[in-house]
Amino acid sequence: MSMLRRFGYRYASFLVFILMVIVWEGACDLLKVPPYILPAPSAIAKAFTTLPLQRWLQHSWATIEVALLGFIMATIIAVPLAIAITRSKLASRIIMPWLIVIQSTPIVAIAPIIVVTLGAGTFPRVVITTLISFFPIVVSTATGLASVPEEYTELSRSLRAPQSREYWQIRMPYTLPYIFSALRVAITLSIVGAVVAEFVAAEHGLGYLILFSTSSFKIATAFAALMLLIMSSLLLYGALTVLQRRLFPWSEQRN
Amino acid sequence: MPLLRTSLSRKHTTIALSWLAGSLLMGAGLSAQAADHVSVQLDWLPAGDKAFIYAGVKEGFYSKAGLDVTIRPGRGSSDAVTQIASGNADVGTAGISSLMQAAAEGGVPVKAVMSIYTKQPDAVLTYEGSGITDLNSAIGKKIAMPTFSSSNDIWPAVLQHNNISPGSITEIKTDPSGMAPMLAQGRVDMTLNWVTQSPQIEDVLTQAGKKMVTLPLSDYGLEGYGLALMASQKMISQRPDVLKRFVKATQQAIAFSTEHPDKAAEDVLKAVPEADVAVMTKQMSNSIPLINNEISTRDGMGAFTPSLLSTTWQWVARSMDLKADAVDPQSIVDTRFIGE
Repeated sequence: MSMLRRFGYRYASFLVFILMVIVWEGACDLLKVPPYILPAPSAIAKAFTTLPLQRWLQHSWATIEVALLGFIMATIIAVPLAIAITRSKLASRIIMPWLIVIQSTPIVAIAPIIVVTLGAGTFPRVVITTLISFFPIVVSTATGLASVPEEYTELSRSLRAPQSREYWQIRMPYTLPYIFSALRVAITLSIVGAVVAEFVAAEHGLGYLILFSTSSFKIATAFAALMLLIMSSLLLYGALTVLQRRLFPWSEQRN
Repeated sequence: MPLLRTSLSRKHTTIALSWLAGSLLMGAGLSAQAADHVSVQLDWLPAGDKAFIYAGVKEGFYSKAGLDVTIRPGRGSSDAVTQIASGNADVGTAGISSLMQAAAEGGVPVKAVMSIYTKQPDAVLTYEGSGITDLNSAIGKKIAMPTFSSSNDIWPAVLQHNNISPGSITEIKTDPSGMAPMLAQGRVDMTLNWVTQSPQIEDVLTQAGKKMVTLPLSDYGLEGYGLALMASQKMISQRPDVLKRFVKATQQAIAFSTEHPDKAAEDVLKAVPEADVAVMTKQMSNSIPLINNEISTRDGMGAFTPSLLSTTWQWVARSMDLKADAVDPQSIVDTRFIGE
């Protein structure tokens, strides 16, 4: 493989991104697309200078904070639920219908009710984020726990290992790749959840900034906030990958 | 002597501690007195037409009245009324028609304590060359309106009041952020907005090389109170003195903002750095005729008169297809807090 091809292969996604930006800029310029409909990338870049860096960081952190809290809460709730579902058929019969009900409920529609019920502040936003992001963690963790090969569990039982040990030393390690796959989906959903919550009630955050900017027809600023949202999502996704690589390198290889 | 010294020292220590405790308690008492917390729910996102609340904070009207005010942006008048009713805010701004609708649906523990707009802010916005110069010339044209807005509700009633069939104008319901681009692109011939929102729409039309034309619905018979200051029943019954001070300080902030819309806009900017001062100044300026007019001069700033309240309710009842006796409009206001 020539050096150029190797470079192209390594940075393929970045090169496609650059190409898209060039096409976008050129199309806006050639077709004279009004900035209030679709701003050019150069206008979006300029929009970053309209606010002090501190304000951008303040909005970004407000969203990331809610996303992270919602994600942690979702994980804390989802993993024990998945264990309960796989351990007991009765628990599964009781919990599963509720999970499907929650997942089928459009959280966007009930978000205003959650805000009114739970009051002002960060908590209702965290709850909305949790509701949006916890389902994939439950399903994927439960699938992982149920797919442990029988011979492993039989060996454990033949050695008279207690069930807790079977879970901690066999089922959970086996399920880790499933859990991390779900966590990666959930972390991106938690950003979506934080934005949904900010659309309903917030004074800060990138979702709030998008709403504020579009209401005053500053579409370039809204796009700039959107870019930061995407970057935040990529950053959190990457952080999870690094975490898995550092703490459980073997699970990533298997994954 | 050592014993005496010790006892003196103890005595001094006791005195010093008592003084310190007293000072702390007094300080706490003073700070509590100096900082009666009031949370204000806006009916929409920070904008120039809400600049007076920000001016109240930044120009010190609220702090001079011993109030520590926090502002919460809202998502519409109904949202604001709900947030006040549920206790998430003590007071707020909202269109009085939303409170009347809520009253007709069974009532909420919220009262309007001061009128802000004595004229309705709704207007048709179009551009020169659209062929629309009045409501009659709008027949057969397309109008964009927000999916959820009090303006939508009164629109058919205004048309009927002018002997125009509501079906003769095509309505397109859309997100508020899509309305100005649709107008600029010629996909619709007019939009239905509050007149205070017109500066942003004018900006977009100017970019498209079009000149905005405003047709206030108050010129077509729409009468009544618009934006009002509201308070929760809890605030009214438990902290009437704080509410009275808040209303008085808000009146001062409104007077300041109508006199200095540019300074009021800068006060918004201090709290909301993403705000555009030029647009905010125009928005505040546009709201001045809704605040200071022949009605407010006749009745007094912030007043609610039974006749205009009744007219407001009649418009709401007609628009929402409610029974005329479904609400006693006088029952949704409490005017005890308006200063002389």
